[in-house]
Amino acid sequence: MNAAAGTGRLVRVVGAGAVGARLARAILAADISVDLEIDDAKPDVARALITGLGDRARAVGELGVGQPDPAVVVLARPKSHIETASKALTAGISVVSVCDDVDDVRSLMSLDRLARRNNATIVVGAAMSPGLSGLVARHLASRLERLDEIHVAIHGTGGPECAIQHHRALGGTALGWTDRAWMERPAGSGRELAWFPEPIGAKDCYRAEMVDPLVLPRAFPEVERVSARMSATRRDRLTARLPMLTPPHPEGGLGGLRVEVRGHRNGERIALVAGLAERTAVATAHVAAVFALALVRNELTPGLVLPGDAVLDTERLLDRLLAAGLVMHEFVGTESRSSW
Amino acid sequence: MAVSVTFMKLLRRALMALSMAGMIAGALRIRGKGGVPPQSGGWRELPLDES
Repeated sequence: MNAAAGTGRLVRVVGAGAVGARLARAILAADISVDLEIDDAKPDVARALITGLGDRARAVGELGVGQPDPAVVVLARPKSHIETASKALTAGISVVSVCDDVDDVRSLMSLDRLARRNNATIVVGAAMSPGLSGLVARHLASRLERLDEIHVAIHGTGGPECAIQHHRALGGTALGWTDRAWMERPAGSGRELAWFPEPIGAKDCYRAEMVDPLVLPRAFPEVERVSARMSATRRDRLTARLPMLTPPHPEGGLGGLRVEVRGHRNGERIALVAGLAERTAVATAHVAAVFALALVRNELTPGLVLPGDAVLDTERLLDRLLAAGLVMHEFVGTESRSSW
Repeated sequence: MAVSVTFMKLLRRALMALSMAGMIAGALRIRGKGGVPPQSGGWRELPLDES
């Protein structure tokens, strides 16, 4: 952390929506020495959140001239994050982005050099997918002698902006990492039935414009195949290339994550599966909060950090997520049946 | 007679709409794999301390 970046215990949360509000509460609950600044394009939304958070939260600029810079800026608003992230890194302030837009994430990943030059850190994709997907994949991969494949599936959405992104992802171009090369396929194709932890159960999942195939090969250089799919109904797929016909819900229902890794152990090829069933905004908020607090505690190195990176202490991060209340599950007792 | 012609026209349009909806739904449904439900095993809480 750059010493010029201001107080080491002040975190700025940009975005006070479904994720931002939970993220703020998660940070305050996890560390009593951290104060928050809340920033939102809608001042009344930010003010309502600050009122609910108590004395340790305030609006950006509330203290006037001389107010210290935050140690960390957490970007929990809709895309684009690139401009705010660049400004923060230039000032030596570390950044956590929950962005799940492929183009935005690609741009954010290019800020590695800027971050290193300013002795700051940028955590890209600190959400459920990407984010928790990478942490779970690293946890599972640690039980393999050799990792070959990672397959991610998600179900559900967080707040309204997440629902819009979900809709957009089904109408775009899906990335895949196959035999160490990028592959582009139409989103909405490649139906597979994936089993999520209960009570979600089995859902039809399809290729979509998701970030995991972009970030996971960088975090796992040895992996040969990465795929990502999201659950969708027939109506979702039919209307994916049209404007959203109905306004998104203020809060999505129960979401799910399923991560399958394949590789070798003791001369055998095996598949390991883990996942969780939780509200998407809640899971995303906790992942972002864990990374923000890791930055406050100077636990991450300068430069680009991707959830799942080998240099991260993934087990400690996962332990903190469990302590925060996330319940993750592993599928045991049978080999994987998916054909990805 | 006029009522009958109108009725037949309406019926044909309804049948056409239904068959088109069926074809689209069929095309969406046929592509992809259904998967096989796991015959044994189940979910348990992830044991982080085992690795």
